Amino acid sequence: MIWLAWRQHRAESFIMLGVLVLLAVFLTMTGLNMAHTFQQLGLSACLANGHRDCSELEDAFQNQVRALSSAIIWLNLCPVLLGLLVGAPLIAREVEQGTHRLAWTQSVTRLRWLVVKLSLVLLTGFLASGVLMALLIWWYGPLNQVQARFAPIAFDFQGPVLIGTTLLALTLGIAAGALVRRTVLAMALTLVLFLAIRVPVELWLRPHYQPPIVATWALSASGPQVDSADDWIISNGWMDAQGNQTTNLSCSSTQNLQQCIQGLGYRANFLIYQPADRFWTFQWIETGIYLAFSALALILAVWLVRRRLT
Amino acid sequence: MSPALETTHLSKRYGRTWALQECELSLPAGRVAALVGPNGAGKTTFLHLAVGLLQPTTGTIQVFGQHPSTQPQEILPRIGFVAQDHPLYRGFTGEDMLTLGQKLNPRFDDRLARARMQKLGIPLQRRCGKLSGGQQAQVALVLALAKRPDLLLLDEPLASLDPLARREFLRTLMAAVVETGLTVLLSSHIIGDLERVCDYLIILSASHVQLAGDIQDVLRAHKRLIGPRQDAAALASVHTVVETSHTQRQTTLLVCTNGPIFDTSWEVQEVSLEDIVLAYLGKQVTGGLQTSPGAPEPNGMEVVQ
Repeated sequence: MIWLAWRQHRAESFIMLGVLVLLAVFLTMTGLNMAHTFQQLGLSACLANGHRDCSELEDAFQNQVRALSSAIIWLNLCPVLLGLLVGAPLIAREVEQGTHRLAWTQSVTRLRWLVVKLSLVLLTGFLASGVLMALLIWWYGPLNQVQARFAPIAFDFQGPVLIGTTLLALTLGIAAGALVRRTVLAMALTLVLFLAIRVPVELWLRPHYQPPIVATWALSASGPQVDSADDWIISNGWMDAQGNQTTNLSCSSTQNLQQCIQGLGYRANFLIYQPADRFWTFQWIETGIYLAFSALALILAVWLVRRRLT
Repeated sequence: MSPALETTHLSKRYGRTWALQECELSLPAGRVAALVGPNGAGKTTFLHLAVGLLQPTTGTIQVFGQHPSTQPQEILPRIGFVAQDHPLYRGFTGEDMLTLGQKLNPRFDDRLARARMQKLGIPLQRRCGKLSGGQQAQVALVLALAKRPDLLLLDEPLASLDPLARREFLRTLMAAVVETGLTVLLSSHIIGDLERVCDYLIILSASHVQLAGDIQDVLRAHKRLIGPRQDAAALASVHTVVETSHTQRQTTLLVCTNGPIFDTSWEVQEVSLEDIVLAYLGKQVTGGLQTSPGAPEPNGMEVVQ
C-alpha cells in the first residue's frame, strides 16, 4: 500500500521537494545578505551596547530590507497551494477517474488505504513545513531585533503555527475532495474553507488568546515600558474623561500637539498590547486551533470514505 | 454445495429512488452467470453491493457466507472485480499495475499475470492511458484473475469493446474458468455475446430480479404459444404468462411453463434466450418504466421519400 501511495504521488513529491529546495536557497541567500547588512550598518554592535539610541540605524536597516521583509508575505501561499494541489485531488481525482473502484477492491480494506495515504501526505506536509519553519526562524533573526516577531506577518512564519496552517490546508483539501468528489470544485471549496478559518482567526481571535494589557496614563506623564520591537501593539491613542477612545486626531502640524489634544477633550493616553513573553503561548494556542480544525476535517474525510463514497 | 453469492430481501436506495428492491438470489458456486438488464436496472448497484463498495439499505448480501461491507478483510481477497469502464491508473505502466496487484493482494499470482500479458501482446513498459480500450480491459481482467479469486465480478466488461476485442476478452475469461473453476458474474445489457459463455441467467429490470436460473432450465421452461384469439386467463392460473400479444385472429403468448401444456388449441414453439430476455424486459416497460423523452423510437424504421 505504501508502494502504491508513493507511486501515485511520486511526481508531486519531487515537485514539492524542488520548490522546497528553491525556497531554501532563496531564504539562505537573502538571510545571509540581511545578516551581513545588519553587521555592516553597525546595528548589532549598537544594540549590544544597550545604552545608545540606535533608532537611526534601525531605520536605515528597515529601509534596506523593506522590499524583502514585505515580500515574505507571499510565503503564506505555500500552505494554501499544498492544500489545493495535493490535498484536494487526493480523493477527488481518484473518484473522478473511477480508480477508487480499482483500489478499494484489491485485498486491502479502504480504511487501510486511506490511513496509509493520509499518513504519508500529512507526514510529508509536516516535514516540509517544519524545515521551512526552521529556516524562517533563522532568517528572521536580524529583523526580530528591530520589529516585533509578534506582529501579524512575522508571527505566521516563526513557530508551529506554520505547521498548523499547512496541516489545516491539507486536511481541508482532503475532506473537501471526499465531499464534492470533483477536483476543481474541491480546490475552490478548500480555498474558501481555509480562508474562512484562517482570516477570522488572525483578525479576531489572535488578539484575545489572553486578555491584552491596557495601559492608560495622563497626557503629561511618561508611558509604560513598551517596546514596539518586541511587544505586539494592538492599538494606541487617546482617551477622554468618559473613557471614550480614539486612534485618530485631526490636528494640523502648525498647532501645538499637546494643546490640540486637550482642546479636543482628550485627557489621557492609552495603549493596548500583548507583551513579548506571550509569543510562544500564542503560537501553541493558535496551532492548537488549526490542529483541532484539521482533526475535524480528517474525521469527516474518513467517515465519507468509509460510508458515503462508492 | 453452498452458494457463492446469496441475497435475502436485498434493497438499496439512493435518496428517494430504489435501485434494488427485495432481491432474493442464490448463485451456486462454479457457475458463469450473466446479469442482464437495461441501463439503470440496478446491475452496477448489485455488483457494488457484492464487492462491498456499497452497503445494503435493507436485507443482506453474502459472498461465501460473509458480508462484503462489514468483513472486507476476509472477503476482498476472494473476489476479483472489474468495474465498469475497467479503470486503471492512467499514468502507471503495465509493470506498475502488476506491482500494484502484487503489493495489494496476498494471493497474487505474478507469473500467471506476466504470462497472460505476454500472450496478449500487451507491452509492460507502456502507460495504461496509452493502451487501446480493449487492451485496458484485458489488463484489468488479468489483474482481477491473477488475484486468484473464487468469485469474479465483471461490470459491463464488453460494453466498450469492438467485436474482436470482445472475443479475445471472453477467450481469456473462459480459459481461466476452465483452469480454476471460479464463479463468474458478469453484467450486460445485451445477452447475445454471453449466450455462448454463460450457463446461468439473472434478469434484473426496474430494480427487481425478474428471473434467475440455469440457462438450460430457462430454455426448457419457456415456450411460445400460438393459438386462436382468446383470453389466456385459464392458462395463467397454471403457468406464468410473461408476454401477451394479440392480432385480430390470433394470440401469441410467451409463457414460463409449470408442466406440460394440455390445451391442444395452442401451438407450442421453442424460444431463443434473447426472446426470453426481451420478453422479461418488455414486461417492465409496460409496467410503467418510461423511455427518456427525445430518444429515438427503437423500431428501426426510416422514412424513405
